[in-house]
Amino acid sequence: MPPRPKDKQVVLLLTVGLLAWLIPGAGHFILKEKRRAIIIFVTIVLTFAIGLYVGSIGVINPVTAKLAYSAQIMNSPMVAALGRFTVKARYSVFGKPNEVGQIYTGIAGLLNLLCIVNAVYLAHLRKTEPSGE
Amino acid sequence: MSVITAFAIATFTMPERIGVDASGMLWLLPLAASIAVVYKATKLQKIKAANFIKESTVLFCSIVVFMTITALVLLALSWLVT
Repeated sequence: MPPRPKDKQVVLLLTVGLLAWLIPGAGHFILKEKRRAIIIFVTIVLTFAIGLYVGSIGVINPVTAKLAYSAQIMNSPMVAALGRFTVKARYSVFGKPNEVGQIYTGIAGLLNLLCIVNAVYLAHLRKTEPSGE
Repeated sequence: MSVITAFAIATFTMPERIGVDASGMLWLLPLAASIAVVYKATKLQKIKAANFIKESTVLFCSIVVFMTITALVLLALSWLVT
């Protein structure tokens, strides 16, 4: 039995959301918003990289910094692998570099969450808006 | 592993030294810039270079001005209390 239009719509929204989470900007990219996608990708990756540069990979710690980690994980699921590595290798960072690093990586994650929601909303609008016929 | 690769990885395994003086507040600027850019990338109907740069700059300046005013108010409050 072929999938109903509503099922297709849900699959599309989920795909866009998942892609946008996997790679920042990918959700907009598949919606053919290439400029938007490039801006989002470069800015979020750069913000995240600055956070890691300042505080080292030790700022991603799912054990001692759960609140920051919950924001950081929104960057990409790859952050979970990094978090597991830092816990296993016992990377730890303290003081101001830790604060700045966590803020940068956390904000990068929250910005990506904004982009995920925006991409899903755009995909939803494109399906529901009248075709103009 | 090449020396360049090893050096690039090493830069992410050692934290930088950041002072706790007022110059540490300058770390706010790149973050405010990225917030302004991403927010405007999601908000604008069409992305055109000139308009996008203008809108992002206005938002960036608004954030910085608001943060500065907040900092000054807090400084004045702390001066009054202590």
